[in-house]
Amino acid sequence: MVWAFWLVAAIIIVSALGVVGFANLIHSALALAATFLAVAILYLFLAAEFVAAMQVLIYIGAVAVLIVFGIMVINRSGMQLSNPSGKTVLGAFVVAIVTMAVLLLGILNHNWPVTQQNPPDDTIAVMADLVFNRFLIPFEIAGLLLLVSVIGAILLAREVRQR
Amino acid sequence: MALDISALVPELLVIGLGLLLLIIHILQRQPVPANPIGWVAFLAFTAIALFVVWRMPVAEVTWGGTWLVDPLANFFKILFLLAAALVSLASITSLAGQSRFASEYFVLLSMATAAMMCVISAGDLLTLYVGLEFLAITLVVLTALDRGTAASEAGLKYLILNAISSAALLYGFSLLYGMSGSLVLGEIATIIAGGATQAWAGLALPVAIVLVLSGFAFKTSLVPFHMWSIDVYHGAPTPITAFFAIGSKAAGFAVLIRVFMKLFIPWAAAWVPALIVLSILTFTLGNLVAIPQTDIKRFLAYASIGSAGYIIMGMIAATRGGIEAMLFYAMIYVFATFGAFAVATAVQAQTGSTAISALAGLSKRSPFLALTMLLCTLSLAGVPGLAGFIGKFYIFWAVIDQGYAWLALLGIIVSILSVYYFLLLAKVMYVNDPPAESAIIRVMPSMRLALAVSVFATVFFGVYPGPLINLVTQVAARFIS
Amino acid sequence: MSDFTKIAFFMFFGIAFVFGSMLVVRLLSTSKYDPIKSLPYECGMDTIGPTWIQFQNNYFMYALLFLVFDVETVFLFPWAIRFSQLGLMAFIEMVLFVAMLLLALWYAWKEGVLEWS
Repeated sequence: MVWAFWLVAAIIIVSALGVVGFANLIHSALALAATFLAVAILYLFLAAEFVAAMQVLIYIGAVAVLIVFGIMVINRSGMQLSNPSGKTVLGAFVVAIVTMAVLLLGILNHNWPVTQQNPPDDTIAVMADLVFNRFLIPFEIAGLLLLVSVIGAILLAREVRQR
Repeated sequence: MALDISALVPELLVIGLGLLLLIIHILQRQPVPANPIGWVAFLAFTAIALFVVWRMPVAEVTWGGTWLVDPLANFFKILFLLAAALVSLASITSLAGQSRFASEYFVLLSMATAAMMCVISAGDLLTLYVGLEFLAITLVVLTALDRGTAASEAGLKYLILNAISSAALLYGFSLLYGMSGSLVLGEIATIIAGGATQAWAGLALPVAIVLVLSGFAFKTSLVPFHMWSIDVYHGAPTPITAFFAIGSKAAGFAVLIRVFMKLFIPWAAAWVPALIVLSILTFTLGNLVAIPQTDIKRFLAYASIGSAGYIIMGMIAATRGGIEAMLFYAMIYVFATFGAFAVATAVQAQTGSTAISALAGLSKRSPFLALTMLLCTLSLAGVPGLAGFIGKFYIFWAVIDQGYAWLALLGIIVSILSVYYFLLLAKVMYVNDPPAESAIIRVMPSMRLALAVSVFATVFFGVYPGPLINLVTQVAARFIS
Repeated sequence: MSDFTKIAFFMFFGIAFVFGSMLVVRLLSTSKYDPIKSLPYECGMDTIGPTWIQFQNNYFMYALLFLVFDVETVFLFPWAIRFSQLGLMAFIEMVLFVAMLLLALWYAWKEGVLEWS
């Protein structure tokens, strides 16, 4: 199965580069959706079926769609050069490479504890018990966060509409 | 799992206030003006703060270690609630002309306060992260509320740069989780410290510390992670700028204290030098770049960066004394910074300008405002007799105690230089002639109260710091036992 | 992982079928370029003006509200599956959570986000 991992990893990297590189913002958004999908497959490799399903549901079904809607709403003229690259491309590239190198340095030089247990069959049940018992406070905060983001989006959109 | 709601009461009250204001807003046909809501919010925040004062000595670890109520958390909750109460009063002035979104404004303010309270009580990395995001999203909306491109730009800048800092923080958290297999701070500390030398042998822990530190350095706007703060402080409504400077920054320092003193203290020798560099950069750049500013909000933004450079010195000491000094400075810094921003709010509400030149001859147009600004900024500069002096003295004493006398000396030199630019401001207010056609600046009663509180606290703790010193000593002693 | 091997198998053939038929069409058909044939059209009509236009921001607000309730399902799903084991506590938690989101919807309604003007 190792080859499958590398295949998915290659898809992630290529599509993520596409997000940055495409000149047309819509193409970038589609590449982003592809990245999300490939990441969902990575979760499947980790036997985290529920997280994978939610990755598809939220990130492709909602976030990517929201981004496309955002482009539709904001777009005024042509799409051809809607995602131009600035002068800082080279600097950004260097920063990204250095960040990656530092992270790799940390990840590769550590004796990570590895569990010998098999992943649980029913990951949803395990997650449910965690979210609704021990981690219920972040769960409720997430609800408030959603409420505040709706209020905020409506407020800011109203300001734009009235302008 | 014990069903322990009592540990959550202050947060629930603040959230309840926000939800109540929202429901009232939805039920009303006409937008509710800022004046009554601001007073209601002020009274509610004050009452909840008194409630937390009453429960101060309580120490509880609930919800399986994910929720900590200890004197440190309660101290910062009082600080956040005080900040929110003062900001509510100042907001009445800034919202007076444009009350269309007054209700939502106070809803968001309550939510931001609740978020900060969750952040300091968070006992695990998940709650901490969700709390920080909750705070950030709320602040983004509050920042972008004003009309005009400056506010939108500020909101967008904060959103994007905060996302990057969150990514760094989250990556650091994920490394910690991978090392320990736990999200709860207490458990991580035991597991990592159990194999302290082994954990340090790999490079994952240093990378995690660097990432977490840079995340927190962003929240507390330490140089060079301060880039966002100037434009955001400039573009946000002025009371919200004050809230950024006193609330959000204090929240950053609070989690910094919690995470570094509980989790990373065995490796203090490694991260203290990094903090020294950050501290020197922050207080020198903050204080020196403030001098040429022509906008009062940008000026105070740099001054507040400078103050953060002093507060972080307490972490350099990494002792109980250092924590005490940080707590003391954070508290008196609330009043001084708020007072300065509140004067800017009052002047802006009347003249529509935040230029320093708009403050010209303020002593003739409103002696009270001018005096408040003078006392608050001199307190920030650390002039003897005001609270800021005691705060700086406390901080320097803590680092000298740990053998960093040269750092304290550098801090004192820059601090004396900073008096220069605060005196420049005083000259504008007291010596310069007021601009032609300028009128007396009217100060609303709510603003009067807020300013009086900050002036009183600044002078009182400068003359008689005993009670506050007692308090921070007890809090720090309970935190590091 | 055997279940996922089957799914991967189906996915592979599903994708292969789509691209395979496109390839077969490309190989078998003749293609002649014609400017009229390559015009973008809508329901058989020629389009008027540019096809990339700015849409009303109501669409965006709908998408945003959708996102919020989409996130809700992330929590609702595991809650529903473990409902009988989790007990009253989790029920109250979920009621509070849904109530907050309903409050958001109520606010959106009041602010006229759901109306088309």
